Amino acid sequence: MNPHITRRQLLAGAGVMGACAMFPKLALAQQGSATTAIYPGAWEEAYRGIVAEALRETHGIDLQMQPLFAVDQIAQARAARGNPSFDTFVLDPGPRVTAIESGLFDTFDASRLENSAHLEPGMADEHGVPVAAQFVGIAYNPNRFDEPPTDWADLFEEPYVSRLGLTGFQTTFGTVSIIEMAKAFGGSEENVEPFFEELQRVLPHVATIGTPASMPSLFQQGQCDIMYTNTQTVGTLRARGVDIEFVRPASGVITFFTTMHIARGANEVDNAYKYIDTVLSTPVQQQLMADPYFMAPVNSEVDLADLPLSDMSEIANMVQHDWSLINPRRAEWIERFNREVAS
Amino acid sequence: MQLPKSAQWQLALPLSLFYIAFFAAPLLLLIGVSFFNDEMLTQPGLGNWRRFVSDAFYWKVTFDTVKLGVYTVCATILVGYPLALVYMQAGPRTKRILLFIILMPVLLSVVVRTFAWIVILSEQGVINQTIMALGLTSTPIRLLQTELGLVISLTQIEMPLMLLPLISVMARIDPNLIDASTSLGASRWGTLFKVIVPLSFPGLIAGCILVFASSTTAFISHSIIGGNRLIYLPLMIWQQTSVLYNWPLAAVGAIVLLVSVSLCIALITLLGRRSMRHLYV
Repeated sequence: MNPHITRRQLLAGAGVMGACAMFPKLALAQQGSATTAIYPGAWEEAYRGIVAEALRETHGIDLQMQPLFAVDQIAQARAARGNPSFDTFVLDPGPRVTAIESGLFDTFDASRLENSAHLEPGMADEHGVPVAAQFVGIAYNPNRFDEPPTDWADLFEEPYVSRLGLTGFQTTFGTVSIIEMAKAFGGSEENVEPFFEELQRVLPHVATIGTPASMPSLFQQGQCDIMYTNTQTVGTLRARGVDIEFVRPASGVITFFTTMHIARGANEVDNAYKYIDTVLSTPVQQQLMADPYFMAPVNSEVDLADLPLSDMSEIANMVQHDWSLINPRRAEWIERFNREVAS
Repeated sequence: MQLPKSAQWQLALPLSLFYIAFFAAPLLLLIGVSFFNDEMLTQPGLGNWRRFVSDAFYWKVTFDTVKLGVYTVCATILVGYPLALVYMQAGPRTKRILLFIILMPVLLSVVVRTFAWIVILSEQGVINQTIMALGLTSTPIRLLQTELGLVISLTQIEMPLMLLPLISVMARIDPNLIDASTSLGASRWGTLFKVIVPLSFPGLIAGCILVFASSTTAFISHSIIGGNRLIYLPLMIWQQTSVLYNWPLAAVGAIVLLVSVSLCIALITLLGRRSMRHLYV
């Protein structure tokens, strides 16, 4: 081959590059692209490193990401009124139900995913498919307490309560943890009144009440030594050298799925399915579970080394919640929590 | 160069159009949204205004927001004014160093700056470690998630907005006036309060307005450093918009924030003008 480039070749090449720059859609169309909403932070980082790479290698598709929390995805999709700026949602159960009620999803066809064979039966439905499991329980600093806490009610007793970090109902993990506390004091999924009664009693002693996003930092800084959180946060903090242990509450570990959905009005539906299929593939799920991301897999082929379960079928016995009962009451709970904790 | 009248409005046209499209029009939409009773914006009505006005909690949130602004303005004046005096007297080299230090908070990302304050104010943070090492207290003082902690951090974060207008005005004060004041027998304090402070009023007022407007709307600082025990209007607006999807009530909150901040700014301007008129009459 002649290593020299003629002027004509150079001009032709430059012309193509210029055309690609002028018509970015054209450049992407050759390769294909999918745009996904993604949680900011660890998810964004993990998906940029692992999933985007795998998607490019297996399907030649370019992954565009829009970092948005679940509630922001819903707010944006509602505001866009049928013309969403991304093809796929990634959501927790509460926002998922809200999105279904608002008609934001396309009907999901799990048969288009090769990897749906590796999921437990019934995981995928007409709305979407789980891509990660979350396990929520109590996390504490073992150096600060002689005895580890055993159940949710312990959080409201000394020595734990004066080192407790609380966060409200605005996140899924916060909501389900508080419901479990309410249950420990005689409440239920529909009645968190017992929690609020206990909260009033202990409020002056609680170490910190923070926004969900700031809880890991507050724990790391010793502002609180006990909180409720998921195994992913515990893994991440431990990897940074923070003294933190996960406790399975006596009433059981809470679990819920993070799910993906095709947005109604999505531009790149085929590529969006390929993207979700890549997320569910065994090597990608295995990599996402490893240090430093610690995302619990849904693919039953994956080796579950550090998780509070030995087999994906155990999830059926863990504590799960009915979000169609929770969602109608959640707005009121969020406001109530805000008012009760406001000094 | 004196431009003809027609050229003047033509020059202002691009910015005017930009403001109409991206500020005035959305503001009108916001006002419109606030007059709906339901989240899906189908029933017009005053329901959310009534809800806001009749609820003591929202009044407290509004009052706390304004109070936070007032505290931050006072703290930035107390800490910033002496520094501006030092700057006025300093040589060119010191001035450059001081200016860099003043600008530092602006150069840092808001996220880094906010999380750095968690490290400083927390129970195992720099301040508490120092106080405890000096033996002043045996248990850590609660600073993070208190109004005091938030005011301390906002004072640092908003300081450039106070200092930049202040030093640019103070740099223009004629040094002869200060010499004249001294030679006519005024004490140093007399010179400060009768000559320097009145002459620096325009910068001080501009600084107060900027700090007030910025500190009452500093959503990230409010939510991260303030935590959930302190609720201010921006946090309430965010929660109503993004978590509860009640846009009409969020719109009411946004308008209340806009109006209350504007009223306070008008008040500061009015007081400033009064003082200046008193000075020059």
